[in-house]
Formats: sequence, structure tokens, C-alpha cells
Amino acid sequence: MKALVLTGGAGKTLVPFSATRPKSMTVVAGGSLLRRTLQHLREAGITDVTIVLGQNGSVVENAFGDGSSLGIHLSYVRQERPQGIADAILCARGKFMPGESFVLVYGDVVTSGNPFLQLLQSFNTFKSPIAGVCLPGPPTGRYGNVYLSGTRITKIVEKPQRPGLGNYVLSGFFILPTDLFSWLEECGKDMERVFERLTTGVGIHASIWEEGWIDVEFPWDVLAANRMVMDTWEEARISRDAKLDTNVTIVGPVRIEAGSVVRAGAVLAGPCYIGRDCYVGNNVLVRSYSSLGPGSIIGYGVELKNCVLFGGARIGRLSFVGDSVVGEQVDIGSGTMTVNETMDRSPIAVNIRGTMVESGLTKLGAFIGDRAKIGAGNTLAPGTVIEAGTIVPHHFTVPKPR
Amino acid sequence: MCGISGVASFHPIHDRLYEGVHQLEYRGYDSCGVAFLENQHIEVRKDVGTVDEVDSRASLRNLAAHVGIAHTRWATHGKVTRENAHPHLSCDGRFAVVHNGIIANFRRLRERLEQAGHRFRSETDTEVIAHLVEEHFRLTGDVESAWVATLRDLEGSYALAMISTYDPERIYCARHESPLIIGLGSDANYVGSDFNAFIEYTKNTVILDDGEYGIVAKDSYAIKSVRTGEVIEKPVTVIPWDPELSRKGGYPHFMLKEIHEQPLAVRTALAMEDPAIGKVVEALDSARRVYVIGVGTTYYVALYGQYLFAELADLDVLPVSSDEFRYLDKSDANTLVLAISQSGETYDTFTSLRHAKDRGARTAAIVNVVGSSIARLVDHVILQGSGPEVCVVSTKAALVQMVLLTRLAIELGARRGLIDRSRRDELYSALHRLPGEIETLLNEQSGILRALAYRHAHMHNWLFLGRGIYYPVALEAALKMKEVTYLHVEGMAGGFLKHGTLSLVDEHLRTLIFVPPRTCGELYNLTVSSVEEVRARGGFVLGFAFEDTPELFDEAVMFRASHPLTAPLLPLVGAQLLAYFTATALKRNVDKPRSLAKSVTVA
Repeated sequence: MKALVLTGGAGKTLVPFSATRPKSMTVVAGGSLLRRTLQHLREAGITDVTIVLGQNGSVVENAFGDGSSLGIHLSYVRQERPQGIADAILCARGKFMPGESFVLVYGDVVTSGNPFLQLLQSFNTFKSPIAGVCLPGPPTGRYGNVYLSGTRITKIVEKPQRPGLGNYVLSGFFILPTDLFSWLEECGKDMERVFERLTTGVGIHASIWEEGWIDVEFPWDVLAANRMVMDTWEEARISRDAKLDTNVTIVGPVRIEAGSVVRAGAVLAGPCYIGRDCYVGNNVLVRSYSSLGPGSIIGYGVELKNCVLFGGARIGRLSFVGDSVVGEQVDIGSGTMTVNETMDRSPIAVNIRGTMVESGLTKLGAFIGDRAKIGAGNTLAPGTVIEAGTIVPHHFTVPKPR
Repeated sequence: MCGISGVASFHPIHDRLYEGVHQLEYRGYDSCGVAFLENQHIEVRKDVGTVDEVDSRASLRNLAAHVGIAHTRWATHGKVTRENAHPHLSCDGRFAVVHNGIIANFRRLRERLEQAGHRFRSETDTEVIAHLVEEHFRLTGDVESAWVATLRDLEGSYALAMISTYDPERIYCARHESPLIIGLGSDANYVGSDFNAFIEYTKNTVILDDGEYGIVAKDSYAIKSVRTGEVIEKPVTVIPWDPELSRKGGYPHFMLKEIHEQPLAVRTALAMEDPAIGKVVEALDSARRVYVIGVGTTYYVALYGQYLFAELADLDVLPVSSDEFRYLDKSDANTLVLAISQSGETYDTFTSLRHAKDRGARTAAIVNVVGSSIARLVDHVILQGSGPEVCVVSTKAALVQMVLLTRLAIELGARRGLIDRSRRDELYSALHRLPGEIETLLNEQSGILRALAYRHAHMHNWLFLGRGIYYPVALEAALKMKEVTYLHVEGMAGGFLKHGTLSLVDEHLRTLIFVPPRTCGELYNLTVSSVEEVRARGGFVLGFAFEDTPELFDEAVMFRASHPLTAPLLPLVGAQLLAYFTATALKRNVDKPRSLAKSVTVA
């Protein structure tokens, strides 16, 4: 079976990262969301994958190429303007043969295990279209409610009439026949009407996913997803090509990739991830749920806690980065603090494109876009967003006399 | 899209090719066929239709051969005819090929081959491959070189498998832009479009990549590059797959499946026109003493029945746990023993019935499994027809048993003149609304209960309280919870609290209270007083209540009931979900909790 993965959504609320990369290229636990999805597809025996690219699609192409590094065959189609899911699906029409069924994947969700095995099994059992469904953490009403009778989906309600319902929701994984393309055209590119047609006509069954599932919408969802994935790690894995000094303390499921160097006095508390070719300096404290992307350089005495560094970051000595997400090639000067708590420990709101959105979290640091530079000695307020490429000057308390 | 399957085996293929293509039918099914090697000869059986239709005409099963390939077709080139169905043979019948994909340059190849004297039988692009291999074999005299030369001639997309009389032990395969994988079994190796082709026999697979070809024998395999001919080492992937999963049909666990089957199971139990119900009602009416027996969940079902019979039919029954029955049994000819058992094999219940029978008692049972020991032993058996229950923790079977006891109590009340026609209609229509109410609960409240379960899963001690008929509900709910979560959960009557248990209440204990609808008057008021007793001592109270209840709790789930008769069963379903989600939060073995068995057939 072939798969179609949609990565074209603009993902505007995932500030500051959506400006420079598609949502699916957000990193959790050492790998992008898309990499996880492609690996899961391969594990399920699905090796012919088409990806629909939108804005910043070249980031995807540069990362995966023809897919051979992942053992799959990748091809790409471009959605020129973001015109919704239906339009994205139709872009890939030429990649599928009539009469086939294929796996449709929304590229911006993270699961704790591989959802495709169960999805294929459901398809095999019912020999009918399949929609993955799940129960999102606390009911939010964000995703549209699914109604089931047994596993048959009887209706899908996009805008529920009553608030606070705890329905199953679409999890973003489907197996659908190629007839979908003509249905989409007949229904005026309206997914809702296509689903209505499926539920009242051919029939569509649910495949219920009971493990972890997160739709990455806001920047703090990256931290939740990172945590969810790391919680599935059970053992430490340290590459034989990593270099560890004596007197390095390792506790719990710590993963260290090839080429990394960890200096004496460092303490790594799992679950945490040190990607390829990282440098972890003397006396660095890496606390649990920290993910260091490839090529990160962490200076002397830095403390990292519950944070995701996409890769290539440089963090100067004696800094603290906690409850934060740091983009690619970010430079953080020494002595920088991401303050992660308000004085009264109230929940922290974040400025999402001009609107303050409650994260519901009482501990939250900063979100720093790709290639930003933060000068030494800065303290960043809880929930700060720093756009990609921003330069924040050094912060001196005692200026040089003029 | 088409499906390919192949087997090279120490033992006869038997049904394995048939099973393989059967499992691949989802990939397309306008025609299908098999080819296998027998006595230096390739036999092809193929036709138009589904795998089962073709099997009934051409017999694809019980094959004695050791090497064979099979195909299920979804036409792209050429009409749906027997000739166009795969496998395709070469002119001399010594090569048979199956193919998934499209050969882009097949017209050119076909012209070339026709000029060389090859005669084609079908309109397919696939047939050129068989002839092409034959042509190359004529030059090289070696199957593998002929195969590689053929692959180099092909343009387009393909997954291929081929057998030949010149190399009768092996299957040759290749892929380019269409999927093909190899399966490594203990007595055979397989090829397939995907692992459905052989999942029943092995979970070890090697995935072929573009530009690679494979040679698969019963005890070995090799993968080589088409371009260089070099052997390529590939990792073996183990499919984390359980064939049992398919029976779960879209659900992650049998427990959730069975919880979701409850609306259907209740509908079935209500639609049932069982003459046994009338006979059991008659026996209940005439008996001077009635025991209702069960053990574990079914004992709580019996307790539930006690409240129903008392309220609706003015009948005083004695619920007894079957493991204790023999010490209490005072049966005689005027006694009825009504047993409840899902499996119908429960040892304690079976021996209790025997004991009572020996003393001359009449016996009846509510049983799910047809033809079970208890079903055969008793005078009257009500078969609940709830379908197989696989999860060790009983959900739908227990709920249906409660519904059937409700039916018995209504019928007995009517027989005794306590329930008139309009009241009986009212009660039945309440029962008939129950499946819909459960369905709404499952749809609209699953997420609420899951969030609740995940918030509280870290608590080790739980108290489940209820009064009146909500007392057996609390007991049954507590049993569900402890069975599947391994947490300490005590079910208790609300009135018991201040006679001892209240001393346990502190911040390390969660209390779940089953509150009846407000319309229940005194029962409601007394239950609410338990809420206050616990909260006054700093205990955290979760309420399972109905929508008319004011906010009395630290946290609450509000159910919607239409009638007091069926109301208790809704929070019970809620408690099943709470137990299920708490178990998944704690990563328990939901369907097979430690130390427990589905049917306890020992003392």
C-alpha cells in the first residue's frame, strides 16, 4: 500500500518555528515529526510515500531527499498556495492508480507508538475505508467529534452543539480508496461533505488509538510531545562512537549518538537525548526530557531541563534553558536565563501573533526561532517568543564608560 | 493494484497460497490464480472472480507442491478475463510470472518478441516478462542471468515473482516502485506484496528495495543488486503483529471492544423471546425459597437482582456467593436455585447447583456459552446471547445479566399483579431506551472519563460507595477497577462508612460515590450525606451522578438517565471505562490481568 502525507498546512500558531519550517519539521525527542511518521510507515511495510509540500517545503526535501536514507521511496508534490486539506490531497491525484486504497496521514500529529499497524489491521478486518480516532487528553472541542456505533462511524460533527463533550476525534490517519479524489471534486473540495458521504454511503470504520496522541498546534505542545515520546524509552542507548570522560553521571534512559563528546562532571538524567556530534561541556546538568539535536554545543556549567534544541545550537557557559524550545543554529550567549515561572506561579500566557493564549502551564520558558542570536547575560521572561533570525544584544549591567 | 504471494517450503504448500492471496484481496480482486511446480511441470490454476469463487471452481487449496506463486488482480492492462488473469506462462510453459505494477515499454518488447516467434495468449503487459525470460534463457542457459537480463529490459513499475522448471526449488522476485517483501519462516520462506500474505506463518521479514532482486528457497534467500549483481545484506525486520489483533476489529483491547458491544448485547437480550424466561418466572413465583448464586462479578449481579426482585416483585431472594453456598444450602423440593455464569463452566457454581439438585431443588441459570456444563445441568436455562467475551474482565456479559434479571423481576411483578399493563409498558420502554443511552455515553463521555482516569491513576487506594441498588453497582465497579488496574479498590455500602471505614479517609484515598438521581428522594439524600462525611474529613470525592445533581463533589461525571429503573447501569458503564482507562494509563495487561483466568474451573 502507498501513503500520502500532508505537510502543507501553514501552522500559523506554532510560533516562531512555522516561519521557517513546516509544522511537521518540528523536532521532538531527537527527530522531526515527519521522520517519526516515515519510520512508522516503513515499520508497517509501507515504503512508497508521497509527500505534499507547502510553504518552506524545501526543508522537507533537503532533510529526506529520495527517502533512501530511511529505506523508503519518497516522491513530492507541491501545493502552490495553502488552500486546505482537500486541495492538498487533490495535488497528489496523479500518484495513485484507480482501485487502490492508500494511507492518508496528516503530518503534524505525534503518537507514542506506531499507529499504522493497527490501522492496516482494521482495514484488513473491515475491508472498508478506515479512519483513525482517539481521545485527546482533556476534551477541547478542537478537532470535531466522531460518533460511533460499534466501530462504524455514524457521524462526524465539526462544531459540537454542546461544549465539554468527550467524544473520540479524528486522529489524522486514514485508509481511503482513490475514489476519494473524485468525491472531493464532486463535493466542492469540502472534507466535511466527503465524510458525510462516507458515513451515510460506503461506510467508514474507526480504528481506535488508545496510546498517546498530540496534535502539535502551539509551541508548548512540542514539549508535551517530546515528553510523551521520551516516556516510551526504557533503556539507555549510548553509541560506541560517543566519547565520554570519566566522572560523567548517567541516570535512566539516556541516549547518546555517535560523535558526541561529554566532558567530566556532566550529569545526564534520563530520559534525555544527545544527538550526533554534540559537545556537552564540563559540569553541564542535562535534566530529564531534554533533547539536544545534532551538533549542539553546550558550554561549561549549563543547566538544561525539559527543553528541545532542534540542532546546531550553541549555549554559552552558565546558562539555564528550561521548559523551552530552541530552533536550529541558535546562538545563546553565556549567562542567559530562561525564567520559567511567574512570581505568583500563575499559568503562563504566550503571545501568539498578537493574541495572548493561555498555555495552562505554570512552568514555561522561551521559544526561540531558527538562527536567532541572544547576547550574553539576558534574562528571558516566561513565555517569551523570539522570532527566527532575531538578534538580541548582550545585556550589561555595568556599561563601559564612554 | 494487485497482490502477490509466494511460498517455498519443506512441506506441501497446502492452503498457504490460498490464504496469502485471500489476505491480499483488499489490494484488488477481479481475478486470481496460482502456479506451482509439480513433476517437472508448472501447473496454473486461475480464473475470474474473488479468491473464494476461483477456489470453488479451480481449487486453490490442498496443494501438494512445495514451491508456488499466487496473484490477485485488479485490471490495468487488458480486460477482466481468464486469459488475462495471472500467473502468465512463457511459450514453453517453463516460466510462470506474477506481476503488480505497469510495464511502460511492454508494447515495444512485445513486438520484438512476436518477431522472434513468441505467441501471446493475453493482452497483459505481464506476459511479456515470461516470454522475455524464456528468450534470455535460450541465450544464457541460466535462470538467474536470464532473470537479471529481463529486469534490465523492463521499464515502469513492478513487483515480480517467478518460478521455473529449470530451477524448481526457488522463487525469483524483484521490485521497482511497487512493494515486495520476503518472509522468513521456520519451515518455509515467503514472498508477498505486504506481510498480510504470510503474517499467519512468520513475523520476520526482509524488505526489498528498488533495483534489487531476490532468490528465495525453502531454507535460504539472497538479495542482489540488478545493476552490479552484488549480494546486499539487509536487516531482518520483525513485525510487531499479533494475528489475534484482527479479531479485535479496530479496537486496541478486547475490553474496550466488549464495552462498546454493550448497546448491541442489550438490544439482543431485550429482543429475545425465550420461553425459558416464562418458565423461570413461574419457578420463581412458586418457590418458597430462592437462592441466586454467582461468584465474583456474577455474585454482584445476583446482589443487583436481590434489589430488583424485592422492589418490583415483592420477592425475597437470597444472593449467595457460590464458593460459600455449600455451607449455607438449605435446599429442598420447594427451593429454586438461579445461577449466573458467563462461561457456564464456573466450578464453584457448578458444584453448588449439583449440591442443591441432590437435595431436590429446582435449578435455573443465566448463561452466555451455549452447551456449557451449567447450561446442560439445570432445569431451565436462559441463554443471554451476548456473543463471545474474550477479555478476562467481564463487562458486557455482566451488564446483560443485570438486564435479564430486570426482565425477570418485571415479569414476576406482572404475574403477581404488582405491575399493571401501563407500568409494565413504561418499564419496558425504559429498558428499550437503555442501549441508546449507553451509546450516547460511550460517544460523548469517553474522553471525559479518560481524562479523569489519567489525572487520578497515581492514587493507590480507592473507596467506591453506593446505597440501595447503587451498592451492588459500587461493588461491581470496584471489582472491575481492581481486576484490571491492580490498585486497592474497596466497594462498600454508603451506610457502612461511619461504622469503621471513615477512619481510612485522608488525602491518600480517593472516594468515588455513585449518586442516584435526585428524584429518588431519601436514597439520594442519604447518599449525599456520605459525600459530606468524606469531604468533612479532607477526603477527595469523585461523584458519578446524574445531570440534576448540584455541585457537591471535588470532581464529577454527570450521566443522563431517563428512568430510575435503568439509571444505575449508566454509571456502571462509566465505571467500566474508568477502570479501562486507568489500566491503560498504568500500562496494565488489560485483557489478561495478572493471576486471573477467564473461566475458573477449579475449586
